[in-house]
Amino acid sequence: MSDADDHKVIRTTGLTMRFGGVTAVDHVDFALNEGELRCLLGPNGAGKSTFFKCLTGQLTPTEGVVEFRGQPITGWLTHDIVKLGIGIKTQVPNLFNGLSAYENVRLSARRKHLAPMARQKAEEMLEKCGVTDLAKREVGLLAHGQRQLVELAMVLAGEPSLVLLDEPAAGMTGDERDRLARLVLELSRNASVIVVEHDMAFIRQIAKQVTVFNRGAIFREAPIDEIMRDRAVQEIYLGKQADVAA
Amino acid sequence: MEKPVAKDPGFYIMVLIGLLIMFGAPIWFDLFAIMQVTQYVVLSVYALSLAYIWGFGGILSFGQSCFFGLGAYTFAVSSINIGETTFPFILSFVLPAAFGAALGYFMFYGRLSDVYLGVVTMVVTLIFWKIINHTAGPEYSIGDARLGGFNGIPSIPILNMPGDPDAWLDPAQMFKFFMFLLIVVYIGLRVLIASDFGRVSVGIRENETRSSLLGYDVRRHKVIIFAIGSGIAGMAGAMWATYQTFIDPNAFSLEMSAKALIWVMAGGVGTLAGPILGVILLQWLSLKLGTLQFLNNFVILGAILMVLVLALPRGLVPSVKHWALTGWEMFRRRERAAPPAKEVTSDV
Repeated sequence: MSDADDHKVIRTTGLTMRFGGVTAVDHVDFALNEGELRCLLGPNGAGKSTFFKCLTGQLTPTEGVVEFRGQPITGWLTHDIVKLGIGIKTQVPNLFNGLSAYENVRLSARRKHLAPMARQKAEEMLEKCGVTDLAKREVGLLAHGQRQLVELAMVLAGEPSLVLLDEPAAGMTGDERDRLARLVLELSRNASVIVVEHDMAFIRQIAKQVTVFNRGAIFREAPIDEIMRDRAVQEIYLGKQADVAA
Repeated sequence: MEKPVAKDPGFYIMVLIGLLIMFGAPIWFDLFAIMQVTQYVVLSVYALSLAYIWGFGGILSFGQSCFFGLGAYTFAVSSINIGETTFPFILSFVLPAAFGAALGYFMFYGRLSDVYLGVVTMVVTLIFWKIINHTAGPEYSIGDARLGGFNGIPSIPILNMPGDPDAWLDPAQMFKFFMFLLIVVYIGLRVLIASDFGRVSVGIRENETRSSLLGYDVRRHKVIIFAIGSGIAGMAGAMWATYQTFIDPNAFSLEMSAKALIWVMAGGVGTLAGPILGVILLQWLSLKLGTLQFLNNFVILGAILMVLVLALPRGLVPSVKHWALTGWEMFRRRERAAPPAKEVTSDV
């Protein structure tokens, strides 16, 4: 392993995922540095979420390798990958609908801490995500944006060193989105973060380095300002008439 | 949010009612009634086995009678051979639990979906039923115990005091012991459900994907839940065998599996008190309707069940609890809305 590899939290080499005749992810070589916050962009069907699922073990790639800090984790089961210190927030909020928000977050904290500490951690994370007042509410009855925040609190309660967030701002109000942006930036001080997102306003708030996906492959990898000025990206993602300066 | 066991008044009420029946019934009821209630107690333990795996682990088994029958035959064969009942009774929990763990391993580690899981459990039960039905010849013996095929195994020993094979329990003692076991199973399951393992199990019931995303091994949890439920069903089978002193292949029948599903569904999935209530209510109804001459009792029972499921889809206990809470909430709201009462000074 080279020195450069030592600083890679996650790396994929030739990652490919085919569903029958459709290639959703096509030989993707991707690497994330320790402590980096990376946004994955791309139009619908670009392969971002499939790539995300290959990283998290929800899908087993057809070809290629996924490594976490140099350790191959291709084909590992999700719970084993998570135990390495990875926190995952899925595209559609994945919560225990019949349980309270507190119980949801406590279950996450409990895997790492003893009961009293887990209780404290759960309360702390609910407060951090601004959903303390929802602690006793059944999460199945919450609004979409509130569910997103509860799920984020669950992810944070596991104290991961790598956080994977799939469309975390979807369905959020402006205030909730601003809070989320602050949280993600705060989180990126202690952990590496990958954010898959569509919401450009949100991406502008948090992104530095951006990877753009198109047709299952990496199309561009550059700082956000460069990406926003890139004509080819505008054509595939924003549309020709988009006002990129906005 | 689920209350901790120690802070839930419902838990103490249930245990108190259980203890009251345990010590009161032999005084209040005659022998026939005691034997009838004993039957309800045994079937309640059986219902709890499914109530736990379905209501708190999200595992819908269509073959719970497989473990019930396995426990009953384990007890029958081993007690006939050994000549005492303490070890066979323990074995009737351990063997079905081990078989449940083995079957569960293949089902859950094989990532079977819910529908296939239902089919597999049902098919395994039918295989047992079929095999046991074909063991009528004298060559089908295990030690001194002849399996008897469709004729079943008669003269199964009655439970004896541990260490004294000649000290058999009389019907009242057997009733008390079975009531004690029902209370122990109820308390044990409540404590288990409130534990961290239980909370994760409920989490798995709610959302398997999220449980894996938190790092919990869903397959391992499900195997353990299934094995515990199988063990309890096996113990209920042994209670049934020693209570009747007879067992036949019907212990493995689909009817026996369906009954457990109906009791749990009628009483309320996700509760433990509900399935016990389901057993008492539906078995009592079955008994009463059996005496009617003008209409087949299965038709009436079926109609009652349909009405129950359509009118109370959540089951009896959750529905009653919901009505009580709604009523209480309405009462409190009305109290708050009412103008404050004037202070009345008495002239007297």
